[in-house]
Amino acid sequence: MKRWVVVALIMTFLVSLAIAQEDFPIKVKLRMMVAGDQNMVDFFQYEIAPEFEKIYPNVRVEVVGTGPGPAGSRQIIQQLEIERDSGKDKWDIDIAIVHEIGAVWALQEGLIRQYTDFLSAKRLAVRSTDEIALGVNVDGYVMPMFHSQTAIAYNPRYVKDPPKSYAELVEWVKKHPGKFGYNGIKHGASGISFVNGWVYWQSKYTDKFLNGPYDKKYEEDWPQIFAELKEFNKYVTMTSGNAGTLDMLNRGEIWMGPVWVDMFYTWMREGRMDPNIRIFIPAPGMPGQPMHYVIPLKAKNPDYALKLIEFVSSPKIQAKYIVERFNWYPAIGDDYVAPFLKKEVLESLYKDVKQKDLLEYGKPFPLTGYYEDILEAYEKWVEK
Amino acid sequence: MEEKIKSPMGFLLILPALSVLGLLYVFPLVRAIWSSFYDRAGNFTFGNYIKVFDLYTRDIIYSVLMTSATVGVVLAIGIVISSYLRFKDWKFLDYMYRLPLFIPFLIVGHAMRIFLAPHGTLNSLLTRMFGVEELPGISGSWTGLLFSFVWVMTPFATLIILGAFKALDPAYVEAAQNLGASKLRIVFDILIPLSGPSIMVAMILTFVRTISSLTIPLMVGPNKPNMITIDMMFRVNYFNDWGVANSLGVISYLIVMGLAIYYLRYMVAERGGIKG
Repeated sequence: MKRWVVVALIMTFLVSLAIAQEDFPIKVKLRMMVAGDQNMVDFFQYEIAPEFEKIYPNVRVEVVGTGPGPAGSRQIIQQLEIERDSGKDKWDIDIAIVHEIGAVWALQEGLIRQYTDFLSAKRLAVRSTDEIALGVNVDGYVMPMFHSQTAIAYNPRYVKDPPKSYAELVEWVKKHPGKFGYNGIKHGASGISFVNGWVYWQSKYTDKFLNGPYDKKYEEDWPQIFAELKEFNKYVTMTSGNAGTLDMLNRGEIWMGPVWVDMFYTWMREGRMDPNIRIFIPAPGMPGQPMHYVIPLKAKNPDYALKLIEFVSSPKIQAKYIVERFNWYPAIGDDYVAPFLKKEVLESLYKDVKQKDLLEYGKPFPLTGYYEDILEAYEKWVEK
Repeated sequence: MEEKIKSPMGFLLILPALSVLGLLYVFPLVRAIWSSFYDRAGNFTFGNYIKVFDLYTRDIIYSVLMTSATVGVVLAIGIVISSYLRFKDWKFLDYMYRLPLFIPFLIVGHAMRIFLAPHGTLNSLLTRMFGVEELPGISGSWTGLLFSFVWVMTPFATLIILGAFKALDPAYVEAAQNLGASKLRIVFDILIPLSGPSIMVAMILTFVRTISSLTIPLMVGPNKPNMITIDMMFRVNYFNDWGVANSLGVISYLIVMGLAIYYLRYMVAERGGIKG
């Protein structure tokens, strides 16, 4: 019996020591959910989390990846919905990184809070992506993490004089059947982006698709537009995904195809891509999209979430990681990032697609309604 | 054997299993069927099914044909391997045919995509060996998909069929051999008929596994037509449209259920035969 008392006393002593050790700022577990490819999870887990924890030693950042594509965002939204439906006061997720469509879903479901009024980095954002996502006003709720863009990659070994627009591309494809490849709409978003660009080129109402309002009457000429795309597809090789297009370009099976610029440059840096392959954005433009930071409505640690977003959006971090390490286009104006970049990095990012091309031809994705209609129209008129 | 214990004890014993089944299978099933009749605004509708038949009829037919073809080829190869191993003890084959069992679908999909591409491993090899340039690749077409499915599904079916072949009383086979029957004849007249139920099980499991596979068709399959699973994923990911996705799911249930009913009736007849 006596021994038991002694053990208990020692334990109490040890525990009180451990508690006394605790630093005054309360320990914080900052949980973030990240939609996107593995590289985005790595970005936060291995680069941002250690740097951020250095500044705030009481914080531990936990990163959970939910996978690429809208499916990844979908999963985050579902998680937030579960938190909401459970009626808890504090939700487990402090920050989420979602696609534009994810931000729109979250906003419509009332799952996220306004926070950018308190974010100084927001003033550095120069494109309007922080205000409008897929035609929906998201101002105040989101801060872009980076911008990604689709473009057409080509192999100069076979293509000496690449077409400059969709119209010229159609001519080229007819002359070189089977040498242009894309992945349709069900196997990755670079194909979707190409199809959206096709509609932007052909329709008279492109402005409505980008800025609204949503009305079926602006889709009157679509049967014709998609019939031409179906005809175009006869001369095209269908690839098996975003990576599939890059693979086929590499093996010389196709000579041209739409790709995500960041993926393209990352593959190239890792030596998985023929370094001679170049990119361009055909007129009148192809879509790209940012990834957005959102803070859930009842996040447990909104203050630290804000601090992390501020940190990642700062010019220095944008330069070092977003641009140099991960080959994304920055979320904030290039002028703010440039002083922190080596000259050759800046040049290699804008080697093929110049900044002015990006401003002129880098289009957003259309309003959700049109976006869905375009996909369904493709299913109905091109695939069937 | 005729006594029936009607104590609540028996029910209690199966309760855990039953509740897991109810929670993880019956409840989602009912919910899926339920939500296939509601549109995104929450109104009752047949619109989801109309859309399915409007957009995906061809994909449904394609999925069934693709799966049936896979089952056919898998059974043929499985029976050939099993028959061979029933008569000859070839250790190498015995190990090799099981290999694909241990490789995840995702890896298979990626490997096949590279292996079967126009300038992929297979064609590069053929070009080196025979000097034929520009062979057509079969990844991204239904043949490539069939090839991959067969490669993945065969070991499992073979395992079941070979087990059945080996479990048969060797007396039948020996008697037939004594009477001068050829091996081919033994396979067709003795082994296959007597292993009927096991072959049936192999068939159904292969069918279900194939029709529900997503990764392999996504990575190796053609861009169109698509398997039902890809359409379901597409609907959920890009439209957040669970209604149509669930309608497609219900249709796959019905397809598989047709097979299950056939199987159950067969089993009942079989059991009845033994008892009677």
